[in-house]
Amino acid sequence: MAAAGLKTIIALSFVLAVGFLLVILSCALWKAYYPLLVVATYVLAPVPNWICSHLANPDDFVESSGAAVLDLGRFCTGFLVVMGFALPIILAHSHIIAVPAMVMSVIGGLLIYGTIISFGMFFQEEQEF
Amino acid sequence: MAEEHLWKFRKPEWLNSVWARNSGVYAAGGLFSLAFYVLLDSAVWSKSALNASDVHVTFVDWLPFIFSSLGMLIINSVEKQRLSADSFSYSGSGVAWKARVVLFLGFAALAGGMAGGVTVFVLKFAVPGVEWPGMTMGVENLVANALVGLSSVVLWVSQNMEDEYAYNLAL
Repeated sequence: MAAAGLKTIIALSFVLAVGFLLVILSCALWKAYYPLLVVATYVLAPVPNWICSHLANPDDFVESSGAAVLDLGRFCTGFLVVMGFALPIILAHSHIIAVPAMVMSVIGGLLIYGTIISFGMFFQEEQEF
Repeated sequence: MAEEHLWKFRKPEWLNSVWARNSGVYAAGGLFSLAFYVLLDSAVWSKSALNASDVHVTFVDWLPFIFSSLGMLIINSVEKQRLSADSFSYSGSGVAWKARVVLFLGFAALAGGMAGGVTVFVLKFAVPGVEWPGMTMGVENLVANALVGLSSVVLWVSQNMEDEYAYNLAL
């Protein structure tokens, strides 16, 4: 279990580094640093879910306000995830960044977000034991 | 639910699962985000060097989107259980009636936003005959308002598909 966990951590950090490399390269190659916003978006994406799951009391079935707060968190997370896609496309559409930079930043952002999500799932599994 | 005895076709089982409900809420957020960024795209494109025409996106173009978002916020803030309160004892001092009024205001704002989007498109883009690359700004306005409507429909449906027993199992 510990060895597998170590391998997973190493693989995840490798993927995270590749994602950051792609995003930073997409900025630095064309000297336009707008795609760095994608990193901020994907780092912020799990935050609403995290905050709202702490705010809500899931054992409370009588009042449905707990579920509403959870839904708000999910809504914001969905908003931020699509924002990570939409921002480079908007910038490329108005020729503020180049189209290859758009592709690189979207792929890099997906790698970063995937790392964050799988890291969260990994730790949740750990907590269950 | 009484409506399950009304229709021949039942809702499929997977539709009641918590998984489907949560992904519906995520999809609603994504659709709303898509609407916002489609509109933002038209604004950014309008100010960029690519826009050769005199037509620019101003506050007027944002107004329909603001109204439909406001309508979406109102619609989805109303507690749905209060709406179907048939018994007078449960609904107390006219809670169902109040809920219906607020919901009507919300739907009016949503439909007004969509109609406003069409108005802006017709008056600002279609009638003066804006050339095609500039016409994208008007079309994006329509698309954004339609996406807000779609997002609120998805959110409404996925909030209504909650089923107490599936809920208890998941949480």
